[in-house]
Amino acid sequence: MSRQTRPVEVALFDYGAGNLHSLAKGLEAGGARVTVTTRWDEALAREALVLPGVGSFGAAVQALAGSEAQVREALEAGLPCLGICLGMQLLFDSSEESDGAGIGLIPGRVRRIRARTVPQMGWNDVEPAPATESQAQGSGEPLFRELDGMTAYYANSYVCEPVDEADTIAWSTYGHDRFAAAVRRGRCWGVQFHPEKSSAPGLRLLENFLDEVEGS
Amino acid sequence: MLRPRIIVCLDVQDGRVVKGTNFVGLRDVGDPVELARRYEEEGADEVVFLDISASHEGRGTLLDTVRRTAEVLFIPLTVGGGVRTEDDMNALLRAGADKVSVNSGAVRDPDVLTRGARLFGSQCVVASIDAKWMDEGASGPGWYHHTHGGRRPTELEVIAWARECARRGAGEILLTSMDRDGVRTGYDLELTSAVADAVDIPVIASGGAGEAAHLRDGFTQGKADAVLLAGILHDGLTTVTELKSALEGWGIPVRPCAAAGEASR
Repeated sequence: MSRQTRPVEVALFDYGAGNLHSLAKGLEAGGARVTVTTRWDEALAREALVLPGVGSFGAAVQALAGSEAQVREALEAGLPCLGICLGMQLLFDSSEESDGAGIGLIPGRVRRIRARTVPQMGWNDVEPAPATESQAQGSGEPLFRELDGMTAYYANSYVCEPVDEADTIAWSTYGHDRFAAAVRRGRCWGVQFHPEKSSAPGLRLLENFLDEVEGS
Repeated sequence: MLRPRIIVCLDVQDGRVVKGTNFVGLRDVGDPVELARRYEEEGADEVVFLDISASHEGRGTLLDTVRRTAEVLFIPLTVGGGVRTEDDMNALLRAGADKVSVNSGAVRDPDVLTRGARLFGSQCVVASIDAKWMDEGASGPGWYHHTHGGRRPTELEVIAWARECARRGAGEILLTSMDRDGVRTGYDLELTSAVADAVDIPVIASGGAGEAAHLRDGFTQGKADAVLLAGILHDGLTTVTELKSALEGWGIPVRPCAAAGEASR
């Protein structure tokens, strides 16, 4: 499944903790050339930005270190981005987990998941949201191309609550809590699950993201 | 709907899987990297490496093994054995582990769970509890936590210890019944359900699996969120695919195994 064309230059931002290794390898398997970086100027200078899903909101906000406006402007200007788990949550305004501002690209907040057993740990469904009228005329959400009925790996205590429901492109249910499994605004996507830990379908999703980057 | 998980455990020493396996067609039956990949293809939901190396060199080899595994394994990997400090945790996570399990290290210094959760998130921190029934334990009859591979008893009553681990920040409990380990007569359902009722984090049942019905009972009567397997798979008595098929037949909503060819890359 390696790409026929040139590799996509992807920056993988490093908040300083946790496993980035699998995600880097997953992106490379999909045809990316990955640069792991702790510097935002470098992270925003590649063809696409990936915000990984390891660590806590507070630690990630510290890594933002006042660069949130700069990151938001780059994403609003069209830099393709994929936020994973915590990386998705970072796209929002704030989180119940800890103080500090997120990137604020997608209006909304991050709240604790409502279930008896927390964290949610394991494989759960990804249910694409019903297509809007404009999408229905196209070929559906490209991130989920050929991934109908996908089951993905989640490890999260918090979920995102977008103000505008149209930002949610897939749902999932844990206990009685229905939450956004994936969001999109423009060329920025966020997924609450870990594609790099979701076996072959997860790798396919990363490949779909890279296809979109390349097509942009 | 969250799926009940099947987790495969490999005992690793100095970079090699300790107990031989009966996989057909493996180039190297002792290579943890290749075995982990093989179990992903079979439909395992997660893999655990339990490092039993005693030596300092063995620890270095472990990091290399984890690094090589993370390059080819695309399901979660938990690594345990000899983890004492948040620096140990960080080294394993940076090498490519998704979660780290802590046993003796948490007995000596329970706050390591809190520090690990704050630095890396609770979802990375697994408290490993080895439970053995004692008629004359420190607080009377009950299950007591053991360290050093189950050889050394502690005064920690298992239910209370599980609660404390959760309170201190562990995101999951790996609960092994030392009484059932290797016996293949089924998980200790009484122990498992008692711990699952006592904590609000996921519980992995371990020790005693001999057949598919034991897994089913672990999920239903034991109230486990996940079950851990080792011997019956390594000895070639069954496969993850067969076990999942049996569980589906009983209406347990496991994650379907990848269709043939889908997992090949």
